[in-house]
Amino acid sequence: MSFIQWIFLFGGFAVVGPVIAHLLAKPRFRRLPFTMLRFLYTGQIESRSRRNLRDLLILLLRCVIIVLIAMLFARPMLYTKPKPQQTRPVYSLGLDNSISMAYTDGTDSYFDKLKDSAIDYIRSAKTDALFNICALASGDWSQGLSKEQALAEVKALKIETGSANVNDFISSLNRVSRSEHLDDEVSVLVLSDFTPNILKQFVDAEKPTVVDKMDYKLIISPEPVNNAAIIDAHVIGIIDGKLTANVTVANYGRVEQNRQLTARTGENKSAPVDINLFAQQRRTSQIQVRVDTAGPERFFLPVELSLSAGDGLKEDDTFYMGVSSPGHKNVNVLLAGNGADEMFLLKTVMDTISRKSSYDTLQIKQILVDDFALSDLKWADVVICSAVAEQLAYFASNIAGFIKAGGRFICFVKETATTEAARQLWQRDVLAALPGKCIHERTYMQPNPCDNRAFGVDNIAARALSNYRIDKILLKGYLECQQHPDSKCLWQFQNGLGFVYLKRLGVGVSILVNTSVDDSLGSLTKSNASVAFGRYLLGKDSQIGEYCFARNEQVMLPLSERQTSFAAQKQSWVQTCNGIKRRAAVADSFLLISDPGGTGWIKTLSKPTMWAGINLPEGETDMTKPVASELADIMNRVFPTGTERTVSAVEVLNNRKRTPIWKYFAWMIILLLLAEPAVANRLKR
Amino acid sequence: MTLLRMYHCPNSLNRDVLKREFSWEFICRGKTVKHNRKYLDPIFLSKLANMDLVARCAVEGFFSGLHPSPFHGFSVEYSDHREYHLGDELKFVDWKVFGRSDKLYIKQFQQETNTTAYILLDTSKSMSFAGDGLVRKIDYASFLAAALSYLMLSQSDSTSLVLFAEKVIKNIPPRSKRTHLNTILAALQYNRPEGRTNLAGVLHTIAETTKRRGLIILISDLLDDEEDIYKGLAHLKFLKHDVIVFHTMDHQELNLDYEGLIQFEDLESKAKIRAFPQSLRDGYRMRVAEFLDDIEKTTGKSNIDYCLLDTSKPLARALIAYLAKRKRMM
Repeated sequence: MSFIQWIFLFGGFAVVGPVIAHLLAKPRFRRLPFTMLRFLYTGQIESRSRRNLRDLLILLLRCVIIVLIAMLFARPMLYTKPKPQQTRPVYSLGLDNSISMAYTDGTDSYFDKLKDSAIDYIRSAKTDALFNICALASGDWSQGLSKEQALAEVKALKIETGSANVNDFISSLNRVSRSEHLDDEVSVLVLSDFTPNILKQFVDAEKPTVVDKMDYKLIISPEPVNNAAIIDAHVIGIIDGKLTANVTVANYGRVEQNRQLTARTGENKSAPVDINLFAQQRRTSQIQVRVDTAGPERFFLPVELSLSAGDGLKEDDTFYMGVSSPGHKNVNVLLAGNGADEMFLLKTVMDTISRKSSYDTLQIKQILVDDFALSDLKWADVVICSAVAEQLAYFASNIAGFIKAGGRFICFVKETATTEAARQLWQRDVLAALPGKCIHERTYMQPNPCDNRAFGVDNIAARALSNYRIDKILLKGYLECQQHPDSKCLWQFQNGLGFVYLKRLGVGVSILVNTSVDDSLGSLTKSNASVAFGRYLLGKDSQIGEYCFARNEQVMLPLSERQTSFAAQKQSWVQTCNGIKRRAAVADSFLLISDPGGTGWIKTLSKPTMWAGINLPEGETDMTKPVASELADIMNRVFPTGTERTVSAVEVLNNRKRTPIWKYFAWMIILLLLAEPAVANRLKR
Repeated sequence: MTLLRMYHCPNSLNRDVLKREFSWEFICRGKTVKHNRKYLDPIFLSKLANMDLVARCAVEGFFSGLHPSPFHGFSVEYSDHREYHLGDELKFVDWKVFGRSDKLYIKQFQQETNTTAYILLDTSKSMSFAGDGLVRKIDYASFLAAALSYLMLSQSDSTSLVLFAEKVIKNIPPRSKRTHLNTILAALQYNRPEGRTNLAGVLHTIAETTKRRGLIILISDLLDDEEDIYKGLAHLKFLKHDVIVFHTMDHQELNLDYEGLIQFEDLESKAKIRAFPQSLRDGYRMRVAEFLDDIEKTTGKSNIDYCLLDTSKPLARALIAYLAKRKRMM
C-alpha cells in the first residue's frame, strides 16, 4: 500500500489528543445524599468494570477514526502485481495503407500484395498468438486480436488518402512491449513500400523499440516504377480572362513520362500541355485556362489540373486548386504626402507591388496632403497619408464615411503630428490611436506580429516581414500613442508600445503606423522589407489567392469583412472531400476545417461558394525504391532484437495494478463513527 | 361519603376561592368530591412554619369540599333501663319513669370508649432525604402526623406520639384533651432527624410498653432489615393492636430519575457509590418494586394496613387510609 498525498499521514499524530484527554480527564460527578444504596450496589459493581472497559474501547475507536481519516486524506493506493500469465507470442503488424500502396504494376497493386503477405504471416503464427494490427496511414490500432480476428482485420483494411504516420506505430509498440506484454514474446512485422517519406520517419525515430523478433517486407514491383505526379501549382495571374498557372510535375519513377497536362475550371478546359520527363526529373510548365469572371466582386474558382493516364498510380495525377480573384476592378491608391520626396519610397513600393501578377492593377495617384480634396476621397479605394495633416481634420467626417463604406485609410505619424487634427480624427473614430509626444529613444520592433491571424492585413506578408528580420532594424524614435478602445495593436515595439494599430469602422479599416521621427516614413520603407511591408498594409483584398492544402494540413479559408460578421451570426457549413457536410469553425477572419476527409474539394455551402483543394503531400507518392542494406540497417536500429527489454522502476510500478482503497477507509470511518456514539451512549444509559 | 359527613367542614375558609384555585378531585363511592389541593400539597405545607397551622390546613382542606354537616361525635347512647340499686349514681335515675311508675329505674347507656392512637414517627437520618430538594421525608411524615393528631384529638381519641431512630427518642403519652395537640405539634416542629434506623427494636419496645391496645400508626421509610421489621409488626399484632404502616418514600427513591455521573452518599452509613444512574435505573426500579411488593404482601398477610406514600403527592391518600381504618375499628 502506498499513499499519494503522504503528507496527510502526519495528521495521524492527532491521536495524541484523545489519549491525553483520556489520561488527564477526571470524571465529573456531583455528590448526592441518598438512602437506598443497597439497591444500587449490584448494578454499580457491574457498571464500573464495564465502564473502564468501554472507556478504553471508546478511546481506541476515536484513535482509529483519527488515523483512518488521516490515511483517507493521504489517498491510499494498493499495488497488486497482476497474476503471472503464460508467455505467449504477440505479433504487432505495421501495415502501410498510404496512397502509394495503391500503385499497380499491371498485375496486382502493392496493397493487394501487402494483404496477401500479412495473411500468410498470420496464418503461419501459433494458434494462441495475439495480434496487434496498426494501419500506418489511418492510424487505427487494433490490439489483442485472435488469429481469426486478425485475418478479418487485414481483409477489411483499406487504403487511406493520407500519408503513413510511423511515429504513432513506434510509440504504441513501445508501450505495448514494455508494459502490457512485458513477459510475452513480442514480434514486429512491418509491411510497406518504404517510400522515402516513410523511410525518413523511421530514420527520425527518437528511440529504439526492443522486441524479441523483428521482420519487415519491402512491397515493391520487380519492374521499374512508372509514376508521375503533379506536386505543386501556383497562379501567376488572370489576364484578359485567362488564368495562368505554373504547374510542377515530377517523375517519381524510372520510366520516361510522356503525358499531357490539362486544366479545367467549370466548363472551361485548357489546351493540353505536353509533359515529357525522364526518370526522377521534375519540371514546371505553364498552363492557361479561360475563366468566367463574375464582375467586379471577388470570386472563387475550382481549378482542377490533371495528367493524362499512363502510370501505375492515378491518385496523384490530379491537383486541386481553389483560386480567388478580387474581380475586374482596379484598386485606386491615393498617396497623400507633404512632398514628392516624402512619398517617393512608398510610391516605389506600390509600383513594385502593382507589377506583381498576383495583384490586380493598382492605380496609384500621388497628391500633396494640403491639396487633399473630397473628389480624391471618392476616387480612392486606399488612402495612404504620410502624416496626420491639418487638412485631414476638415474632411474628418468624409474620411469616416469613406472607411465605413469599405475604404482603407492608412495613416503614418511623424514627430510633427498636428495635435488638433489628430484629436478631431480621433473623435470621429477614424484614427486607431491618438499620437502623443515624441520620444527620441532608439528601439527595435518585435520580430513577429501580435497575432498571426489578424484581421485586415496580409498575414502571409507578415511572415515575410519576420523573415526579413525587421527586429534588427534600428528605429530612431517613436510617438507615444493612446490606443483607441475599439482598435487592436497588431505589431509592437520591443518596449511594448504599439507600432501598427488597426481599427475596424463599418466594413473598412483604419490603420495607424507609428513610424519614426525621420522623414522617410520610417526605416521600414527604406529597408529590404519595404515591399512586404506594403503588402502587409494593403491587405489581401486586392490579391489573387490560391487555396490548395496538403492532406495533413489544417484548411484555412479567409473571410471577407461581410462574411466574417455573417459567419459569426450563423453556423458555417462546408462540404468536405468525402461529400460529408460539416460545421466549420470561425476564428478571426478565417474559416477553419480540421478534417478535410481525403483529397479533392472542400466547398462552403453558403454564398459566395469558396473552394479549397486538398492534395497529397509533396513526395507522398515518390516511389523511389530504398537500398536494401540501408533499409535493413534502419529497421535493425529502430527495432533491435536480442536485447533484454529494460523497464524502469516507474514502468514496473505502472505495470502493477493500482487499486484505490480510499473507499474502504471511508466506509470504515463511517461505521466507526456510527459505532462510537452507540458505545458511548450505552455507557451512559 | 357517610363516613366523611361525620366531620364538620370549617366555614372559616373561603371555599369558593379555594375550589377555584386549588381544587382536586377524587372518586368516593361513585361521587366526585373536590378537595382543596393546596392544603394537602406537601410543598405548600412545608412553607408553613407553624405545625398547628399545618395540621389545620391539611385536615380542614381535606374536608373543605364536603357538605357541611353537624359534628356529632361519639356520645353515649341509650341502651336499657334497670332497677336502682344502692350505690348507683343518682344522676342516672330516670325521673320521668319514677314519676309515672313511682319506681326507681336507672337509665343504661352503651359505653363507647375512644381509641388510643400511637403515632410512631421515624426520625432517623434517612428521613431527611429530599430527592428533588423540595420536601423532606421527615417533613412529609410530620405533616401527616400532625394532621392525624388533629383529626384524632378532634374525635376525642387519645393520641400518643413516639419519635424514634435507633431507639425511642421522645415518647409523648396518650391524651385526649384538645390541648394535647400543642404538645404533639411542638414535638414535631422541633424534631431533627438524626441517627440510624432500628425499626425492629423500636417496635418491640413499643409493644412492650403500651398498656392499652389501640391503633398503631407507623410512619417510616422502613429502611431496616425487612425480617426484623416484620417481626416487630407481628409483635404489635400479637398484642391485638391495629396497625397502619405509612411507608414514606421520596419520588427519587422510587424511580431514580437522576442523570449524569453521581456519587451517591448514604445518609446513615456514609457509604459512597459513584455511578451513572441511567445504567442502573432499570435494575434499581426492579429491586425497589420487589422490596415494596414484599412489604405489601407480608403486611397484608398480617392484616396490617400498608400505605405507600410518595412525598411528591398530597396527603389525602394517607388521610383516606386512616379514616377507612378508623371506620373498620368502630
